[in-house]
Amino acid sequence: MRRLLVRWGSGLLLVVLLAVTVIGLAGGPGRETDRAYELEQRLRCPVCKSVSVADSPSDTAQAMRQVVRDQIAAGRTDDQIIDHFRARYGGWVLIDPPMSGRTLALWILSLAAVASSTTWFVLRWRRRPEPVEPSTEDREMVDAALEEIRTRDPIEEQP
Amino acid sequence: MNTVLPSAGWSGAMLGLAASIVLALLGFRAQRNPDRVRHARLRVTAWCMLGGAVLSMSALIGALVTDNFAMSYVAEVHSRSTPLFFTITSAWASLGGSLVLWTLVLAGYTAVVARQVRSVEDRLGTGALGVMGVVGIFFFGLVTTVANPFTIMANPPADGPGANPLLRDHIMVAFHPPMLYLGFVGFTVPFAFAMSALLLRRGGVDWLRRSRRAGLVAWSFLTGGLVLGAWWSYEVLGWGGYWAWDPVENAALIPWLVATAFLHSAVVQVKRGMLQSWNFVLVLATFALTILGTFLTRSSVVVSVHSFSQSAVGPALLGFFVLVLGGGFTLFALRGERMASLSRPERLASREGVFLVNNLLLTVFAFVVLTGTVYPVLVEAVTGAQVSVGRPFFDRMAVPLSLGLLLAMGIGPFTPYRHATFGVMWMRLRIPLLIASSAAAAMVLAGVRDPGVVLVMFLVTASVTATVRQLVVTVPHPRPAAVWRLLRSQRAYWGGQLAHLGVAVVALAIVSSSAFAQRATVTLERGASAEFAGYSVTFEKTERHELSDRTSTDAHIVLREGGRVVRVAEPRLGVFAGRPQAVGQPSVWPGVAQDVYVALGALEDNRVVLNLYRYPLMSWLWAGGALVAAGGFWAVSGRLRRKKTDEEAAPEVVSRA
Repeated sequence: MRRLLVRWGSGLLLVVLLAVTVIGLAGGPGRETDRAYELEQRLRCPVCKSVSVADSPSDTAQAMRQVVRDQIAAGRTDDQIIDHFRARYGGWVLIDPPMSGRTLALWILSLAAVASSTTWFVLRWRRRPEPVEPSTEDREMVDAALEEIRTRDPIEEQP
Repeated sequence: MNTVLPSAGWSGAMLGLAASIVLALLGFRAQRNPDRVRHARLRVTAWCMLGGAVLSMSALIGALVTDNFAMSYVAEVHSRSTPLFFTITSAWASLGGSLVLWTLVLAGYTAVVARQVRSVEDRLGTGALGVMGVVGIFFFGLVTTVANPFTIMANPPADGPGANPLLRDHIMVAFHPPMLYLGFVGFTVPFAFAMSALLLRRGGVDWLRRSRRAGLVAWSFLTGGLVLGAWWSYEVLGWGGYWAWDPVENAALIPWLVATAFLHSAVVQVKRGMLQSWNFVLVLATFALTILGTFLTRSSVVVSVHSFSQSAVGPALLGFFVLVLGGGFTLFALRGERMASLSRPERLASREGVFLVNNLLLTVFAFVVLTGTVYPVLVEAVTGAQVSVGRPFFDRMAVPLSLGLLLAMGIGPFTPYRHATFGVMWMRLRIPLLIASSAAAAMVLAGVRDPGVVLVMFLVTASVTATVRQLVVTVPHPRPAAVWRLLRSQRAYWGGQLAHLGVAVVALAIVSSSAFAQRATVTLERGASAEFAGYSVTFEKTERHELSDRTSTDAHIVLREGGRVVRVAEPRLGVFAGRPQAVGQPSVWPGVAQDVYVALGALEDNRVVLNLYRYPLMSWLWAGGALVAAGGFWAVSGRLRRKKTDEEAAPEVVSRA
C-alpha cells in the first residue's frame, strides 16, 4: 500500500513540477529580440575569417553594424536590408545560407540525412529479426567440443 | 658547418621513409606467412622509424635554436629576435615542421604497437604494423619531397620574418597543436587494426578491443586538443567567442564525432556481439576524416584562421584521402559481408537501442557538419560562385542534435541490455527525474525564462543525479574506500560516466554563457568611465613596452565595484617587427561564476574603444572539457591493466596446447 502511494505520489509530483516549468516558460515574457543584432548575426564580416558582423571587433564590421542600424531606423524590412548587403558584397556575405538558390542543396542534403536515417531506424525496428539457425558445421563443432570435455582426463583440468 | 643540421634532418626523414617501406613489406609478409619473418626485425624496423623521426625533429629544433638560416624552414618561420620558448614551438608553426611533428607522433604510436606485438604469431598485430608502415611511407614521403623543411638555402638570409604573430604570443601554442596531433594521428592505430582484421578475414573481439583501446587514447587527446583550441581562440582572437564553426575547427570536430560514435558502438559489440560491420565503417571513416581534415587545414581550399600555410601538399593529401577511402571501403565491401554480426538488437527499449540512437545522432551530426564545411568549396569549384555557410546554419542543426544526445546520455547508461521495461526505468530514473524537474521549476520560478537553459538544466541534472544514484546503488558499502574500489574495478563504465559528467558541465557552460551573455562597445576618453554589468569601467592610461620582437601597448582599464578597485584589465596591442598588422590580445578576468572579457576595438593615446563581454560560467567549459578527456584516459588505464593480466595468463594456454 505504502509503495503504491510512493509510486503514484512521485509520479504526480513529477507531473506537477513539469507543468510548473512549462507554464512558467510559456507564460513568461519571451527573450526580447534585438532586431539589429539578429540581422548582424546573419552577415559575414568581409575582412575576418569565419565570424559574423555581430561578433567581429573589426572596423569594417563596426561600419556595417552602423549601416544595419541606419537602415532599421529608416524603416526598411529585414529582407530589404539583407538584399542591400547581398547587392554590395555578393551572396558570400550571407553567413546564414538561405533555403534557395545556390545553397538550397545544402539544406536538402542535411535534412535528407536526418530524414533518411530516422526512416531507416524506424523501419529496422518494425522488422522482426529472424532467428538464426546454426549450420550443421557449427553443430558438429559444438558436439565435438562437448565430447572432448566429457572424455577429458579429470587431472588435466587442474589449472 | 651550417649544412650539418639540414642534412641530419633530411637523413632522419629518409631513414624514417626507408624504415616505413621495410615495415610495410615485413608486416604484410609476416601477416601472410608468420614463419618467414623474424620478430626482432619488425621491432628494430619500428624503432628505426622512430629514430629517424626523432632525428629530424631534433635537427629542426636545433636549427631553430641556433639561428641556422641555411635551413629553408628556419628562414621561413624564424627570426633572431623571437624568444627561446616561441622559437621551439615554431617547430610546428608552419607546414613543413608540422608534418615532421606528424611523423614523430606516428612513429611513436608505431613503436608502441610494435611493443605490444609479442610474437609474429600475432598476425593481427603484424598486419597492423604493415598498415602503419604504409601510412608512414606517405607522411615521411611528404617530409622528404613536397613539404621538405630541410632544403639547404644557397644564399642564407641574415634574418627571417618570424612565425605568424598569433603563433608566438600565447603559451597555448606549446600544448594545443601537439595534443591535437596526438589525437589525430592516434586514429591511425584503430584504422591499422581494422584493415589488418579485414585482410585476415578475421572479425571478432580481438581487433575491436585493440582498436577501441587505441581509439580511446586518441579520442581523449583529441578532446583535450579541441578544448585547448577553443580556450586559445577565446583568449587571443578578441571577438569574445571560443568556437566560430570555422572550417578547420570543424575538420577536427568531425572525426571526434565519428570516433565518439565508435567508442559507443564498440561497447555493443563487446557486450552483445552486434554491429561489427558498423564498427569497421566508423573506424575507417574516422581515419579518412582526419586525412580530409588535414587536407582542409594544410591547403588553401578554405578560408580560415588556420590557413597559415599553402603548398603542393594539398593535392597529395587529397590523393591519399581518396586512396584511404577507396582502398578501405573496397576491402570492406569485399570482406565486410562475412564479418557482419548475425545478431541484432531485439528491442529499441534497451541499452543497445539507446547506443544505436546515440550512433545515429552522432553520425548525422558529423555528416551535417561535414556537408556545411565542404559545401562552399564544392560550390566554388563547380560554379565559381562564393557562398558562405556559418554559425546560423550549424547552430540550427547542432542544437537539436545535441539535445537529443544529452537525452540519450541521461537514459542510456542506466538502461538494461536486451529489454528495458517501464517499471525498471521508472525505478532507476524516478529520483533523478524528480530532482531535475525540481531544479527546472526552481529556475523558472526564479525568473529564468530561456527555454534552452531550462531544458539543458533539466537534462543535465537528471543525467548527473542518475549517475550518482547508480554509484550509490552499486557500491557495496557507503565508504570512500569502497567507492574508490568500484571506480577502479569498472574503469570502462565509470570512465564513461566521468566523461558524461564532463559533457554535462560543458553543456551547461555553453548554454548559460551564451544565453546570459552581456556585451557592450564603449568609447572612453582617458580618465572617463562607463557602466558595464555592475562594474564601473575606467580608462586610466596606456603603457608602451619594447620587447625583443615586438612593441606592445597596454591599455589600463580599471574595473570598480561599489567604488572599490576589483581588477585592472590590460588588453594589449602588439606590433611585430616586419609585420604590418597589429595583433590585439584581450584581457580575460576568469572566475568561477563569470568571466569579464575586455578587448580593444581601437587604441589611441587618449581614447580607447572597448568591446566588453560578461559570460556566466565560462570557466566551467574548460573544466568540463578536461573531465571528458580525463574520463577517456580513466577508461583506458583499466584496459591496459587487464591486458597485462591476460598476457600473464596466455603462456599457460600455449603450454597446455
